[in-house]
Amino acid sequence: MTALPAAPVALAAGDAMPPHSVGPLTRTDIVRYAGAGGDLNPIHHDEPLARAAGFPTVFGMGMLHAGVLGMRLARWVGPTHIKTYNVRFVGQVWPGDVLAFTGTVASVADGVATLELVVASSSGGEVLRATATAAVAA
Amino acid sequence: MIDPELVGQELGSVRFPVERSKLYELARALHDDDAAWHDPDAAAAAGFDGVPLPPTATVLADHWRADGALAPALALGADLGRLLHGEAAWELLRPVALGEELRATTRVVDVTTREGRRGGTMTLATIATDFVAPDGEVAIRRTDTLIETGEAAA
Repeated sequence: MTALPAAPVALAAGDAMPPHSVGPLTRTDIVRYAGAGGDLNPIHHDEPLARAAGFPTVFGMGMLHAGVLGMRLARWVGPTHIKTYNVRFVGQVWPGDVLAFTGTVASVADGVATLELVVASSSGGEVLRATATAAVAA
Repeated sequence: MIDPELVGQELGSVRFPVERSKLYELARALHDDDAAWHDPDAAAAAGFDGVPLPPTATVLADHWRADGALAPALALGADLGRLLHGEAAWELLRPVALGEELRATTRVVDVTTREGRRGGTMTLATIATDFVAPDGEVAIRRTDTLIETGEAAA
């Protein structure tokens, strides 16, 4: 694991975030996040309830993969240099999915990089799209 | 159903401490086992002035709300069976230190309606939560878009 950067990093348009993957996602991963993050909506951990609601099984909360992506972003640009982080949930994440975390630098201006990030699942393609801004080294 | 009359209203306010054990648990749940996320010595060794906060650490406030992560949706009167979390956005305005206590206050910014692609009217609510540090400064502002999908045609 590369060290979490404390100083701003140098980035240029087109640079890519080191790719990362997590999974296959387990129900334990979902339950661990429920306890850590405080999201006890039963649709994410109660299998009979999820089925009764018409879902094939439980599914991961968006804040789980949004949170993992946030950690990958932090490891790329440094956690104290992130200025904004905006995520849009576009698909669901299921147990067994392998999640791929990718990002690129769209532009850099006045010492601030604009980043575009994606989470894709092995079963359903893109599940989250994000943009972020971060202070970068000159 | 989300009540459009709630625009401008406050949906609740909680205080919560930024604690080492919860930061450890959150980082681990987010598949990052770097000690710098929770151990002041490891953070100092990595060059940080105190442990850095994960970008989505504001979720920890949910432990202090009676209804957890669903509290704002329930306060809006949303039908949970039709509710989707559309977007979340964070403005990280200043560092937050381990041990600091933040006050998180949520308000309704906007409620709009739109015709859904599969029929029915969907309602979009924008809510903002300010995480205020003890000195009164907003340290983090989080904005969420909640979507209540249209009721299925009978």
